[in-house]
Amino acid sequence: MSYDYLFKYIIIGDTGVGKSCLLLQFTDKRFQPVHDLTIGVEFGARMVTIDGKPIKLQIWDTAGQESFRSITRSYYRGAAGALLVYDITRRETFNHLASWLEDARQHANPNMTIMLVGNKCDLAHRRAVSKEEGEQFAKENGLLFLEASARTAQQVEEAFVKTAAKILQKIQEGVFDVSNETSGIKVGYGRPSTAAGGRDGTVASAGGCCS
Amino acid sequence: MDFVSGYKGVVGRVFGNDNATSNEDSYVERLLDRINNGTKAEDRRMAMVELQSVVAENHSAQLAFGAMGLPVLLSVLKDERDDVEMVRGALETLVSSLTPLNHAKTTKVEVEPSKMNADLLSREVDNISLLLSLLAEDDFYVRYYTLQVLTALLTNSLSRLQESILAIPRGITRLMDMLMDREVIRNEALLLLTYLTREAEEIQKIVVFEGAFEKIFTIMKEEGGSDGGVVVQDCLQLLNNILRNNTSNQTLLRETVGFDPVISLLKLRGVSYSFTQQKTINLLSTLETVNMLIASGPHAETGKDTNSMTNKTALVQRKVLDYLLMLGVESQWAPVAVRCAALHCIGDLIAQHPKNTDELARKVLGEEPQAEPALNSILRIILRTSSMQEFIDADYVFKNFCEKNPDGQKLLSSTLTPQPHSMVHAPSEDDVNMSFGSMLLHGLTMSESDGDLEICARAASILSHLLKDNTQCKEKALKVELGPTPQSMGTPEPLMHRMVKYLAVASSMDSKDGTSNGKPNLYIQEMILKLLIIWLVDCPSAVQCFLDARPHLTYLLELLSNQSATVCTRGLAAVLLGECVLYNKCIETGKDAFGIVDTISQKAGLTSYFLKFDEMQRSFLFSSKKLSEERKPVTRSSGASMVEVEDHENDARMEDERNEEHPILASLFDADFVAIVGSLESNIRDKFVDVYSNPKAKVAVVPAELERKNGESEGDYINRLKSFVEKQCSEIQTGANPQQKTSGSSDRFQVENFRRDLREASQRIEMLKNEKSKLENDVSTYQDLASKMESELKSLSDAYYSLEQAYTQVEKEAKSSKTGGATPYPDIEAIKAQVREESQKESEAELSDLLVCLGQEQSKVERLTARLLELGEDVDKLLEGVGDDIGLPEDDDEDED
Ligand SMILES: Nc1nc2c(ncn2[C@@H]2O[C@H](COP(=O)(O)OP(=O)(O)O)[C@@H](O)[C@H]2O)c(=O)[nH]1
Ligand SMILES: [Mg+2]
Repeated sequence: MSYDYLFKYIIIGDTGVGKSCLLLQFTDKRFQPVHDLTIGVEFGARMVTIDGKPIKLQIWDTAGQESFRSITRSYYRGAAGALLVYDITRRETFNHLASWLEDARQHANPNMTIMLVGNKCDLAHRRAVSKEEGEQFAKENGLLFLEASARTAQQVEEAFVKTAAKILQKIQEGVFDVSNETSGIKVGYGRPSTAAGGRDGTVASAGGCCS
Repeated sequence: MDFVSGYKGVVGRVFGNDNATSNEDSYVERLLDRINNGTKAEDRRMAMVELQSVVAENHSAQLAFGAMGLPVLLSVLKDERDDVEMVRGALETLVSSLTPLNHAKTTKVEVEPSKMNADLLSREVDNISLLLSLLAEDDFYVRYYTLQVLTALLTNSLSRLQESILAIPRGITRLMDMLMDREVIRNEALLLLTYLTREAEEIQKIVVFEGAFEKIFTIMKEEGGSDGGVVVQDCLQLLNNILRNNTSNQTLLRETVGFDPVISLLKLRGVSYSFTQQKTINLLSTLETVNMLIASGPHAETGKDTNSMTNKTALVQRKVLDYLLMLGVESQWAPVAVRCAALHCIGDLIAQHPKNTDELARKVLGEEPQAEPALNSILRIILRTSSMQEFIDADYVFKNFCEKNPDGQKLLSSTLTPQPHSMVHAPSEDDVNMSFGSMLLHGLTMSESDGDLEICARAASILSHLLKDNTQCKEKALKVELGPTPQSMGTPEPLMHRMVKYLAVASSMDSKDGTSNGKPNLYIQEMILKLLIIWLVDCPSAVQCFLDARPHLTYLLELLSNQSATVCTRGLAAVLLGECVLYNKCIETGKDAFGIVDTISQKAGLTSYFLKFDEMQRSFLFSSKKLSEERKPVTRSSGASMVEVEDHENDARMEDERNEEHPILASLFDADFVAIVGSLESNIRDKFVDVYSNPKAKVAVVPAELERKNGESEGDYINRLKSFVEKQCSEIQTGANPQQKTSGSSDRFQVENFRRDLREASQRIEMLKNEKSKLENDVSTYQDLASKMESELKSLSDAYYSLEQAYTQVEKEAKSSKTGGATPYPDIEAIKAQVREESQKESEAELSDLLVCLGQEQSKVERLTARLLELGEDVDKLLEGVGDDIGLPEDDDEDED
């Protein structure tokens, strides 16, 4: 249960690209061919280990539809990482990336780490976006990139873990003020270096009367 | 009383043209003008102060303020941020304009100006956005008043404000930040968030995303946990709001923060003798939290159920049982409301959870010489408490413990052995070292001497849990014999017989006391009957034991038609009688199934016998309404009364419906038992028909040729019968026709047989008539259903049709926009595909649901038809009306009446 850091993630992208399936594959290690349409947001969590450090990931899977945008935007600012997902077999989901990115830039923490995920790479025969195009887009916009499949689990673990590794690296470089919770990062109780909680120093003399 | 003048006064004040009102109007107007157009800063501030005070005190000024004043103040808030004093003043005035004035003469007719102002202000999302932005100001009062304005708006137009705040980017984030602000602000924000999160799932999730759990637990810890004040109560209310029916948030709590902070709130520090009202409320709220995590409500979907199972596991792993047992069982100072809630939580924790059930069975309370299993302690509560609610909740623990837990039942009933005679009359304080079973037997029999059978009835309820669905335990209990009593004339008496005796004693006490003082005994008969019913289910040896004493049957028949017994008692007596037929394996004449049916039909009449079932099913205890009752959440307003509330007795809502039944029964006749009775009833009906149509070898089946022919003289008829019998005799001897065993040695005997047949046949007709009218009822119900289904199908197909139309429309539009030159929507194909897919999916799902329903109805109709045919009804004729009646509900109404 104890962790060194806790990172909050969001998963964004068009409806149907496989966001919910990616989360389920990551948290439950299974694929559910017919996933319910996400309404609003859904939550999942898992522990990973990076450089020997236990790290807790809290992941919010969002609904892609326009009608939920105002709700899902509320999750941008408090997230340390985002998985921006498109479907390699549907070109339009790739074409929409720019607008998703704009949304993120507008509402999110500027230090948010974004991983671009080309999902459904098991459907290579129906590919509509080449891997190079994905790489190119990621490079231009300073995103991490990989192609994955929620169905075969290929690269799913990596998508989440590499994002975490990048965030960890940024912490070590001092990019974040980890005491500021809006960054989507929390220092775990197990860490001796930082005193988590009680930062206002107004801890009352509680329970003085009882033994 | 002086309503008219009061009314005039109000109307006069608000609408009248007397000078006062117009004075107020113009005064407010002048002040607003000074604020809006004034040039001297000092004068504008003065005007604001005056405005605030007049709006805060004067009803008509508050009313006049609305439409005129809001724009002026909003522009101050927007454009004069640097003038902190003006901003403060404007906010304070807003707070006043939204605060209801306590007018002594207030009546319902009056327009509530504060409500109107709230409505005006909350109408624009921009206004809310402006207010939220003020929360980032440095000035303490600006933030404080802003929160007050928002809270006032929330109390007036909750859902509108919830929507606005959701639509404002980072709106909730801002509010959440206030939880880390100075104490006064923090407390205000806490209150605001409890309003905001009420029944708004998306807001609940965002609040949690923003770290609500950590923040809430931190605040509670700072405030001293459950020993803290009203702030802790507010925290708990917020916590409960964001967990209630929100699986996603429950998962998050479990997977990240964990349940420890919740559980530690239940921990009593040191030896707590004092339970202040606040502490009681805090504990009750925390118990509500636990309850929320583990209760799978009546509408639980399967997904939510796995969630609550996981929560149960996690909670018990974190030792919640220890704290609950401390609160519910061990602590002598905990208020009864807390004890009850804790016991109920224990019951929920073990429900359908074998591991937790075992864990509870292993718990031992107390220090060594006095140590005893927790279950024994809970049984002692049941036998001793003076609180009915406490009994109900403790009983709930045993019910869930025994449910689908044959090993647990065996464990508890293994010790069902009477104490030596000397112990039976020992004071109950000496029972620390008694085994569970002995204590239970003691409870079953101890109260006889006081003439108060309440404890016996409670123990009977526990015994019924022990025996339910468990043949081995039933057999074991059948063998239990109690020491001789004066009445039993020196021979030991089976436990079951003792129970029947108490049943009879209870009814005689009822009639002695009349209705005035009989209350404590109102449920005793029902509870003993419940025990006997559960005991006899599927248990021929229990039936045998019951019938061993001849008076039992007679007594039940008497009870059945005893007008001073409750509807429920009579109904349950009927069920018990039915069981004596249903599970009867006796061969002794008179005690066999046929004999019992025969006795019932002669003593009570079958029609009136079956009427008892119907009456009971119609009573409140068996209605579906009762089953959907839930516990009310603790809120600031209800908190204090929750503490006091103990028994349901003063619950007005239920009074009219169950004037006759005792409130305790509503809890003990749970959905489970109601279902058992329901299925028993239908099996009993079937069995009765069966018994008549198949009277075993005892009664001859009369072949057609034995009927007396038209015009046949008596002598001829007898001769013919004689030869028939002779023929039969020889046939039997050669074994040619084993089916017809008519073996009359004399004509007289034969005639006697016919008479009997005749009587039985007419009884059977009576039964069938009963059956038929029931079926006819069913048919009309199904007619209704069918017509409802049909209309649903129609509206569905309409919906489908309009979807299709919408789709073609979209397609058309898509085409036209495509032909309109460059493609502005590169993904039009995808949208089309998606629309098509979604609409198809949706309507297919609904259609298949409907088809399933129709299929079920169809198979019911088929079964009914078969049954009607069996009974010799002309089905076609009966069903003739079905198709035609659709759309003519009046006809159906008549049928039902
Ligand atoms: N072949 C394949 N199908 C996938 C994959 N991921 C998701 N899907 C399918 O794509 C559809 C949409 O997935 P879902 O997770 O609901 O998308 P979301 O709207 O982004 O959450 C579902 O029918 C999935 O079965 C994948 O990696 N490979
Ligand atoms: Mg989804």
